[in-house]
Amino acid sequence: MADAATPTPPAEKPATTTGILAPGYSFTTLTDKIASIALSRRTPFVWFIGAGVGFLLTMMLLTALTWLLFRGIGIWGVNQPVGWGFEIVNFVWWIGIGHAGTLISAILLLLRQPWRNSINRFAEAMTIFAVACAGIYPAFHTGRPWLDYWLIPYPNSMGMWPNFRSPLIWDVFAVSTYATVSLLFWYVGMIPDLATLRDRAKKLWAKIIYGMLAMGWRGSARHWSRYETASLLLAGLATPLVVSVHTVVSFDFAAGIVPGWHATIFPPYFVAGAIYAGFAMVMTLAIPLRKLYGLEDLITMKHLDNMAKILLATGLIVGYGYVVEAFMSYYSGNTYERFMIWNRLHGPYKHAYWALLFCNLVMPQALWFRKVRRSVPWLFVIAMVVNVGMWLERYVIVVVSLSRDFLPSSWGLYKATVFDWATFIGTIGLFLALMFLFIRLLPMISIFEMRAILPEAKVREEEAEA
Amino acid sequence: MSGPKLYGLMAEFENPQDLVEATRRAREAGFTRLDAYSPYPIEALTEALDIHDRKLPAVVLGGGILGGLCGYALCYWTTVVNYPLVVGGKPYHSAPAFIVPTFETTILFAAFAAVLGMLGLNGLPMPYHPVFNSPRFALASRDRFFLCIEARDPRFDHDETWAFLTKLGPRVVMDVEE
Amino acid sequence: MDATNDSRLAGETVRLSRAAFVVGLVALGGAVAYGTAHPDQFFHSYLLAFMFWNGLTVGSLAVLMLQYLTGGAWGISIRRELEAATRTLPLTAVAFLPIAFGMHSLYEWTHADAVAHDEVLLKKAGYLNAPFFLFRAALAFAIWIAIAWALNRWSREQDSSADHRAVDRKLQLLSGGGLVAYALTTTWTAVDWVMSLEPHWFSTMYGVIYMAGQGLGALALATLAVVRLSKTRPVSEFLGGRHMHDLGKMMFAFTMFWAYVTFSQYLIVWSGNLPEEISWYLARFRGGWGWVGLAVLMLQFVLPFLLLLSRRANRDPRTLTLAAALVVLMRFIDLSWMILPAFSQGHFRIHPTDLTVPLALGGIWAGLYLRNLAGRPLLPVHDPGFEEALAHGRD
Repeated sequence: MADAATPTPPAEKPATTTGILAPGYSFTTLTDKIASIALSRRTPFVWFIGAGVGFLLTMMLLTALTWLLFRGIGIWGVNQPVGWGFEIVNFVWWIGIGHAGTLISAILLLLRQPWRNSINRFAEAMTIFAVACAGIYPAFHTGRPWLDYWLIPYPNSMGMWPNFRSPLIWDVFAVSTYATVSLLFWYVGMIPDLATLRDRAKKLWAKIIYGMLAMGWRGSARHWSRYETASLLLAGLATPLVVSVHTVVSFDFAAGIVPGWHATIFPPYFVAGAIYAGFAMVMTLAIPLRKLYGLEDLITMKHLDNMAKILLATGLIVGYGYVVEAFMSYYSGNTYERFMIWNRLHGPYKHAYWALLFCNLVMPQALWFRKVRRSVPWLFVIAMVVNVGMWLERYVIVVVSLSRDFLPSSWGLYKATVFDWATFIGTIGLFLALMFLFIRLLPMISIFEMRAILPEAKVREEEAEA
Repeated sequence: MSGPKLYGLMAEFENPQDLVEATRRAREAGFTRLDAYSPYPIEALTEALDIHDRKLPAVVLGGGILGGLCGYALCYWTTVVNYPLVVGGKPYHSAPAFIVPTFETTILFAAFAAVLGMLGLNGLPMPYHPVFNSPRFALASRDRFFLCIEARDPRFDHDETWAFLTKLGPRVVMDVEE
Repeated sequence: MDATNDSRLAGETVRLSRAAFVVGLVALGGAVAYGTAHPDQFFHSYLLAFMFWNGLTVGSLAVLMLQYLTGGAWGISIRRELEAATRTLPLTAVAFLPIAFGMHSLYEWTHADAVAHDEVLLKKAGYLNAPFFLFRAALAFAIWIAIAWALNRWSREQDSSADHRAVDRKLQLLSGGGLVAYALTTTWTAVDWVMSLEPHWFSTMYGVIYMAGQGLGALALATLAVVRLSKTRPVSEFLGGRHMHDLGKMMFAFTMFWAYVTFSQYLIVWSGNLPEEISWYLARFRGGWGWVGLAVLMLQFVLPFLLLLSRRANRDPRTLTLAAALVVLMRFIDLSWMILPAFSQGHFRIHPTDLTVPLALGGIWAGLYLRNLAGRPLLPVHDPGFEEALAHGRD
């Protein structure tokens, strides 16, 4: 062909592990560095502060929930017409945060992105703790939590079944499946590392507990082979699962006909929003953690840069959702749809809507610049802003839509009470407490997957043939 | 041999390359009952040991199909057969709605099949295994690579196998008691 | 490796291209002859033809930008096939002109008397009016052509220069912003050109369904092309089992995404069951259209899903070709299902022009596409990821 260029290959072959692990580590030092955090290193003083704050806030959560059991959900701000308030906002917010963990561990595993190896473990832990926090809300929102087992389809003396046409029962299936599969995925992923802790532990009780959890893992090649297959299959299952979970959460709203809820874009928009919020939370946790435990070599700037790019991409998808929602409300020519957007922009909750546009749409655009993506303080600030923004988004969807529906005579405003706040802040405390316990007791970075990306782990191909 | 029964001979290597090489040589020498232990999965080792186990994907597929059938049957039977009730003007057999719980049970059953299948096929949990009798084996979960030729291998002979393993250039060769 | 194109390949491609042109022109002649007598029917079929071929073109642009942005061997293996498709944009831009002339035959909202008696259409008149409609179409084409021109030009620069780091960076940056522009343009063109056929109906998911469909179609077409090209040099020396596996996985992902957004829209509309929304589905489920919809579900999602599920099938060129060809064909049936019921409310009616007009436009499009394909080296050897992609395929 006429202008076929003469091929001159690039000077150096791009290595896939560039920048995701500082040089100079060996199997030995890497193992000892991560394992020692759980086993032998002195617990830093900051840990006690963090875990203490988490513990105290958890106590506040328990107090608020106990009072709720005595008095009923009237102590919350929910009432007609806003029957879903902070509780559903927080439920969706927490579930969304959980999604990044699954995304990092499952989708990035399927895409063979080795940079995930140092953040997947605590991202998965984050998923489980976030789902645990999320689960508290609907469980108590039923008003009679001791009858929550009615949600489960089982043959009963009343002869009744859940309504399988309702998104709320879909949610029960989706969230419980998600919690179960996440837990399985997390635990299976940890088995080889638990074996490492078992073999490195000095104290008897640690040997026994880690030993039982490791289930006799011995690193046999046959086991590894099935283990790898199982990991890939689980990742392949977890990926559609994570999408389905937030899709079902979006159906909770979209299957109804309230303006502001009944939008067909909701499923992908909620999923993108969940990943967005989740990555913001991963950054919020990773940035202080790597500093606190000196893990800058393992969670490098390359990781933060990649996460920032995902944050930008998912933020743009969420922004697309806002634009399309606003456009369609105009294009529909429907009075209620048009009023819905007007009300968001000018109504009693306009500050929440404008703030959410700033947090989710404007602020993250800074991530287009490499300088911002490479600056730790900036990233931390943006991640915090997105955490707030995504909470506001759910607030706008839940509260603003319900407060102004079809009939002006049934309009009403919502105001959170001190118990709403106590429960919300309490779950943040529970999350922190669980996270700090996890960091202290379990390997927060996947040791065996990090070993696999060390340069010395490579088995040369020509000898592998023969 | 008196005293505790011998489980096999174990050679310890310092890097994955040597282990893969040694495994291949042991297979070429005709040993069949052997296993390699490493602190992380090594693809070349799977090939060297000629491991071809395709059971797990089939187990997971079966679990998924079972889960899907169970999920749809649950929706259908409760809503159409056992307690038919019109809700929201929707037909008894509301297929679009039933797809959602069906999807979730499919994933749930398949995930359990993957985890339990992996553990079951691997024979885990296993409270006792002879390889742990070697005090150095604790390093298999840290930075060392082990090849174990078992005593029940038809070609196994303590002294000859010992000599064979020594030739492969290990750090150390040791007895593993049953 | 030798990256020059096999000389036999050029001859074969040009012959094929000529044949396609001939088929296209003959069909076009017939269609125009028919169209002068029955303009309404002609324009209905023409819209379908335009949406299909323009969808493949713009979809290729989107997938091209996606692969610049994410990197990876799959993208490098189909880079030139995608680029060739994007260079047909001037043709599809010209192909839009008949729609501009046929607006009256297509869109109810262009009839002033109909709008005057319709409260909803009156409310939308600020958006649905002829000048603004044409302006939006022109803007969309301007954006697409600008992006395609820049991507093709820089890619050529990357080919011919030794130090192309600056170009690599530019390609990535443009692709980032370009995808944002693609999402917006595709949404408004889908709304303008197709959704407004039934001007009372609206759905916020609509643009996403088009994006999923266009991406799926473009990927399938590029896969078809690259597997066919792998019979001769230079692609034969590059394309390995793993590349095909990657392409299969991408198609698998896109078909799942398409099914996901399509089902989600349906479930939400079905649950809400509002008269102004469900009417769109009623028109597409009644009078035989329901069977077409079922065929789209089975053959654009279920069958490709099953075909591409196993690792072995993905690496088999024949299975991959079968799946890709099926997807491209079903894209056309899917668009027919989306577009044609708008003209035949409640009745199942297919006219011969629904096949001949797409064939006419398709012949010309394919002729140009093949010519574009033969006009450039088939492998982007200077791409920073090329060596890695080459090694990736060797396993």
